Amino acid sequence: MRPPIPENIPRAQQIISVLWPSFLVAIVASGLFFSAFNPVDLIPFNLDIDISPLAAYSIGFFLFWILAIASSYGTLYFTISNCRFLNKQGR
Amino acid sequence: MATQQAEPELQEIFAKHEKIYPREVSGRFSRLRVISLLGLLGIYYLTPLLQWGGRQAILFDLPARKFYIFGLTLWPQDFIYLAAILILAGLSLFFFTALLGRVWCGYACPQTVWTEAYLWMERKIEGNRSRRMKLDKAPFSARKIRIKILKHTAWVTFSLWTGFTFVAYFTPMGVLANKLLSLSLGPWETFWILFYSFATYGNAGFMREQVCLYMCPYARFQSAMFDSDTLIVAYHPERGEPRGSRRRGTEPKSAGLGDCIDCNVCVQACPTGIDIRDGLQYECIACSLCIDACDEIMDKMSYPRGLIKYTTENSAQGKTQHILRPRIMVYAAILLVLCGALFVHVSQRIALDLDVIRDRNTLYRETRDGLIENVYTLKILNMDSDSHRYILRAEGIDGLKLVTDQEEIMVEAGSIYQMVVRLQADELNLEQRSVPVSFHLQAADANHLQIVEEARFVGPGKT
Repeated sequence: MRPPIPENIPRAQQIISVLWPSFLVAIVASGLFFSAFNPVDLIPFNLDIDISPLAAYSIGFFLFWILAIASSYGTLYFTISNCRFLNKQGR
Repeated sequence: MATQQAEPELQEIFAKHEKIYPREVSGRFSRLRVISLLGLLGIYYLTPLLQWGGRQAILFDLPARKFYIFGLTLWPQDFIYLAAILILAGLSLFFFTALLGRVWCGYACPQTVWTEAYLWMERKIEGNRSRRMKLDKAPFSARKIRIKILKHTAWVTFSLWTGFTFVAYFTPMGVLANKLLSLSLGPWETFWILFYSFATYGNAGFMREQVCLYMCPYARFQSAMFDSDTLIVAYHPERGEPRGSRRRGTEPKSAGLGDCIDCNVCVQACPTGIDIRDGLQYECIACSLCIDACDEIMDKMSYPRGLIKYTTENSAQGKTQHILRPRIMVYAAILLVLCGALFVHVSQRIALDLDVIRDRNTLYRETRDGLIENVYTLKILNMDSDSHRYILRAEGIDGLKLVTDQEEIMVEAGSIYQMVVRLQADELNLEQRSVPVSFHLQAADANHLQIVEEARFVGPGKT
């Protein structure tokens, strides 16, 4: 019987385990950060970009999500990689 | 013949998801559930229609950075209330879970509420449990395609209405409806309506119990909130076992059988697909459908109800049950205190804020008359729903002069007014290099609107 260690997790479940926690974290991060700073004010002044406030909030949220995805993916990658390493060592 | 070593059997841990067809159930708990579901859905869809003072009653106006809750206008400066509400929500969750178990999961959670709504539509269109299962197993035919299209159309329509309502909490429903009808919705509004519609469609139409089983963090730590007096759904094996079918009219005890006739109706009714007779499992969302299903069977068999019922671990083991126990009382006490504090704070909230920023370019200036001068930028935040005229004065130093270009400052409702003022003082009156001063802002037309803000006045030190 194949032991249920992280490297055996199906691809679909791996993807969800990265996307879902990062989504939750992005919601929290957006809520906290945009309560303090107005996203429209954060657009670099010299770039002459004119977007609606909703667009600024949305893009900000997706930026947080991408950042959190990078973190979650890093965790998943190292977990799987460590498992493979430990398995090879017979532990 | 030489014996061969059997190959280790490859057993898959992760099996492909099999669709669950919950059986239709009627009973007192399922009636209670329907009331709860309809009530909560009603609140969700009808709240954006409520109006208050010419605007939507509940509106989270992101572009203007204001949250409107009936008469209360919350600014980003009021973030502490959001934090308090979140803490209150968490504590109430712990309190109700310790008392009533997973009553949130079974009766109130949005995932449950929307899944039940979609299941209702599925039942209306595809039929009862056996018909739904038969339909899915049948090969594709014109009839099957027709039914499936009808179901998905109903689902998609409901999803779009849900997504539209969600965005209506952020953009007023009237404005949104106008934009929709004139096909002039902004790109991001369209995106979020579709995003939320798709999430509803996916979660309630397909994911269903998988959200509870795999995605929900509450399901995982609920056991940390339970104790031996928490309400759970349990099967009574001492009454039900040994289970088995029997002929009509047979006295179960004489046949060496318990009350459970192994009809499996409890398993069929379960939306997460478990067998409650195996004991309490984390998959059990305490929806109590198995209770109603079994009670129905017990009625038919003329056995007493309650083979599966709400109980507590202590009660099931015959120990005394405590409802008021330390855990409950501590949670309740903290909740009451926090609730009270929040209520008092909000009701005494002064819809006025003053920010003072001292000009940091120079420490101080000397005027032609030999007075020491500090320059300040003031931001007056009128958080009220009416415009006001304000009077400003400064205190803290003998003979302090406030130099401003306006006697009375007029600030519109819900807006911020920025102005530059100067404070002048005689050097002789300055006790030390940096002296605390205070700005007093008072609304001329409302006595309760007043605020004091501390600042510093810098002068030359005593040489």
